[in-house]
Amino acid sequence: MKIKYVGKCLFITGDGGRKTLVVGDMHLGYEEMLNRSGVFIGRLMFKEHIKYFKKVFIEIGKVDEIVLLGDVKHDFGKAGEQEWNNILSLFDYFFENINKKGKIVITRGNHDNFLINVVNKFRRKSEGEIELVDFYILGGVAYTHGNKNNKRMFDRDVKLWVLGHAHPAVKLKEGIKIEKYKCFLVGKYKSKKIIVVPSFFDYVEGSDPRENGLGLAWEFDYANFDVKLVGENLEVFDFGKLKKLK
Amino acid sequence: MAKIEYVEANKSEEVKEILNPLVREWFFTKFKDFSLTQLYGVKNIHDRKNILVSAPTGGTKTLTAFLGILNYLVELALKNELEDKIYAVYNSPLKALSNDISVNLLGPLSEMRVLAEKKQLKMQEIRVGLRTGDTTMSERAKMAKKAPHILVTTPESLAIILTTTKTVDQLKALEFMIIDEIHALTNKRGVYLSLTLERLHSISLIEPVRIGLSATISPLEEIAKFLVGVGRDCLIAEVKLLKKIEISIDFPGNEILETETGESQKELYKMLDKIIENHKTTLIFTNTRAATERIVHYLDLHFPGKYVGAIGTHHSSMSKDQRFDIENKLRKGELRVVVSSTSLELGIDIGSIDIVVLLRSPKSVSRALQRIGRAGHKLHDNPKGEFVVLDRDDLVECGVMMKSMIEKKIDSAEIPKNALDVLAQQIYGMAITKIWDVDEMLGVIRRSYCYKNLSKNDFFDVVSYLAGDYALEHRYVYAKIWYDAEKKQIGKKGKMARVIYMTNLGTIPEEGFISVVVQGPVEKRGQTVGKIDESFLEKLKRGDVFVLGGNKYQFLYTRGMKAYVVADVAKRVTIPSWFSEMLPLNFELACEIGRFRGLVKEKLKSKEKVIDFIKEYLYCKDKIAENIYDYFKEQAGFSEIPDDKTLVIERFKEEKEYLLFHSLYGRRVNDALARAFAFAAGRLKNRDVEIGINDNGFFISGEGLDEEKIINWVKGKDLRDILKEAIEKTEILKRRFRHCAARSLMILRSYKGREKSVGKQQMHSGFLYVAVKKLSNEFPILREARREVMEDLMDIDNAEKVLNLIRTGKLKIAKKRTPLVSPFGLNLLMQGRSDLVKMEDRAAFLKRMHELHLKVIGEKNK
Repeated sequence: MKIKYVGKCLFITGDGGRKTLVVGDMHLGYEEMLNRSGVFIGRLMFKEHIKYFKKVFIEIGKVDEIVLLGDVKHDFGKAGEQEWNNILSLFDYFFENINKKGKIVITRGNHDNFLINVVNKFRRKSEGEIELVDFYILGGVAYTHGNKNNKRMFDRDVKLWVLGHAHPAVKLKEGIKIEKYKCFLVGKYKSKKIIVVPSFFDYVEGSDPRENGLGLAWEFDYANFDVKLVGENLEVFDFGKLKKLK
Repeated sequence: MAKIEYVEANKSEEVKEILNPLVREWFFTKFKDFSLTQLYGVKNIHDRKNILVSAPTGGTKTLTAFLGILNYLVELALKNELEDKIYAVYNSPLKALSNDISVNLLGPLSEMRVLAEKKQLKMQEIRVGLRTGDTTMSERAKMAKKAPHILVTTPESLAIILTTTKTVDQLKALEFMIIDEIHALTNKRGVYLSLTLERLHSISLIEPVRIGLSATISPLEEIAKFLVGVGRDCLIAEVKLLKKIEISIDFPGNEILETETGESQKELYKMLDKIIENHKTTLIFTNTRAATERIVHYLDLHFPGKYVGAIGTHHSSMSKDQRFDIENKLRKGELRVVVSSTSLELGIDIGSIDIVVLLRSPKSVSRALQRIGRAGHKLHDNPKGEFVVLDRDDLVECGVMMKSMIEKKIDSAEIPKNALDVLAQQIYGMAITKIWDVDEMLGVIRRSYCYKNLSKNDFFDVVSYLAGDYALEHRYVYAKIWYDAEKKQIGKKGKMARVIYMTNLGTIPEEGFISVVVQGPVEKRGQTVGKIDESFLEKLKRGDVFVLGGNKYQFLYTRGMKAYVVADVAKRVTIPSWFSEMLPLNFELACEIGRFRGLVKEKLKSKEKVIDFIKEYLYCKDKIAENIYDYFKEQAGFSEIPDDKTLVIERFKEEKEYLLFHSLYGRRVNDALARAFAFAAGRLKNRDVEIGINDNGFFISGEGLDEEKIINWVKGKDLRDILKEAIEKTEILKRRFRHCAARSLMILRSYKGREKSVGKQQMHSGFLYVAVKKLSNEFPILREARREVMEDLMDIDNAEKVLNLIRTGKLKIAKKRTPLVSPFGLNLLMQGRSDLVKMEDRAAFLKRMHELHLKVIGEKNK
């Protein structure tokens, strides 16, 4: 199995050559939510997302599946036509970059109560296959949102967990200068390898595990996790163990 | 051309003549004669002239404004000619108006009514209506049915009234408009009011007379133009009451250098106790809330039991009821001493104070006058005050301030111009009332003094924002107004418009309080130890140590409206808790201090001569003069005395290289200069630079700083462009953007019946800031936030003047190398760094840190 960090995304090539693109929490529709509560904010996220994915697919080519790690939509309470269309066209765009017989897998997050409606709508109008599950296990990898535990993830043949939900980010400090960057957290838990994927959501970087609980369902020893910081142009920088980072 | 003209006082007979016999009789049973202020104002108001009445506090201003108007209304009422309309609006920035109004309006009215009945004269009832944020629905409904003849209101409520059809009808033939406390309106609230007044004029059938009432303020001509707007005449009545100011300056002990020691702290409280002892009621101003609490605490500690029940505090973070309680006790004479931060500076009558203590510098002459004016509030008492200073810079500053007070040199106020956020809110308000022709709308706006130079571009930019153009294809979602470019018309959009406008209008930003929660040590984890305000939080960087409630805490991070800290730290305090509340030193006063420095510098050779000179020049005693002499002597020996003609720049090294600029121009100017110079330094080396700022100077610190290159770089460029870049990544711009976004209704505080907390607003505005910058770097509300930072928070115009002085050689630069910081720079350095001017971008920083990190890892592996 080969693992590659492509900006905010994770790219896994299985032993059989199966290519999987993993995307963290997207929180689509956040802007609409703000707008509904009286905050004048344009709709920029969707376009920015497509721009970003274009770069990703140029880098890695077509894939066999795309796993969305949950919290795809911020909330569906009163989603308007336009918002639905945005998601549907995002799915369409994904399928343009998925090989034949490929699929999209969504591991349900805590924000995804209404997602089934969108998925059903998509299924009615399109051939593409979308799975909506609590967790997804394939080729020794368990994908899940991360807010809930599941026995199956401890199966012996599962070697790697890939998790979202936590929005990990780390602050770099030099004197009084502080900047925060999205990051992957990579470590071990009960003989399983763990990769926590940063959020795809644009407006905030995320939470620093040194300052806040990340809200995942397991007690990870983050101090001994490796930190991989997300830079610009899909670059990712290895900063070693979190505890060594000042 | 509109005429602005100073007037003289009328003769008592002239004023008497205009009064109706009933009013005249009432007046002279209550008063012996007209006050000087009344001689200046009453007849001119009777003659329907726009007038600005400026008089020191205690000058019977309110009754001056009302007497002529009451006289007119009583005459109508006696003839049974009083109509159902609002004749006069009285506008005050204070919400707690009821006391003043009952004294100056309701009292006189009912007394005249009794008098009329006695004389068996038939008189219609003259109604007074109070409309503020606290007015209940039923009271409002009552007013809507039967118009009050005099309406008492605030700037915000007046704007609301202008969108209610019923009241607008009652206001169409308004005859008098009184703006009280206009000196407290030289800010966005005043800008807002100026547009509201123009809106009112645009619906008026007759031009109402504008009457402005002000405490001592300068320049009066500007304030007069601000009052009346463009193209209208205005009289200025500058009432110079022959009040002698009794003012002195002192510090505890004999050596000011020792005031920080414990012994001397004791001296301070002994000194305060003595002042209190010698007077009936003492008012102490401290500048900050924390200091207010401290004074009360220590007075009690040093004099156990003595002050129980006789001392009170009054500051803005206290609840309305608590403050009201203190005000009442003051009026009843139940308190011996009240300690206040700034909240007691304004307005409301607080009874008989006989001395005001100014603890630390009030930072401007007019503020100092306003404060000591609270003593002897009654007409013929002299205001009496005492500066109590605790450090050497304050000693010099307050010394010069005292001189200016005695010589009546008032520093000038500035009014913001072309504020786009306020404009956005008002255009929305205008669009709600009717469909406007664009040119007509712009015409109305440009009659406000604050918008007389508003460019068409800026106007249409704001219209575009409101019309939703910036949201491109989704315009329908965001638009608040529609604009038809062909018909050149503007109107409102959405059924909710009026509700949104009425529940969100106003210009005072909501400041949040942040709870301080202990994160470590473990045994104290989770304790909430107090609250700090948002602007203070803004100054905190991770690792900073600050004092709260007498204990030291080290700041870690914030989450929402909570700040997490470590308790029980032994480190030195890095940020004084009064930092954010610090008032900036007025530019003109700062220049006066520079001149004083120069005069002392010239004479420094002979100790005797200098001390005599200081005593005479500052009207102070030996002890003061001697301490000032010592301070100057030390600076001269160590480095050089900076003054109005010499900018001393000292270079020294601590853990980093420092360039300390002794630029005594006040922190608003220094903020602009420091950022520009730091930006230059950063640009030249492509590295971030730290800055520290206070009223007396600033420093920049970093590596390889070259003052020559830095100064030349800034000198040759446009300061505005440099600053625009230099503030781009600062927290202060983001915070100001939130205020502007709320004022321009980009973020609605109240929407669909729900109120947003300040924390939520802050979070939302963070997203908004990111989004807006992606939309357009020149988005009007973003531009306004920048303008506010550069012009209101900083003083870019005067900073430009200073740069010009350097450019033309009128301000000489003296470069000094010193082994460590000089005496004059000590306070500045002690106060610590205040910001970072970022040069390196995020991506470059990440790469560099990564390389550094690899090196560390690599070396360990060797």
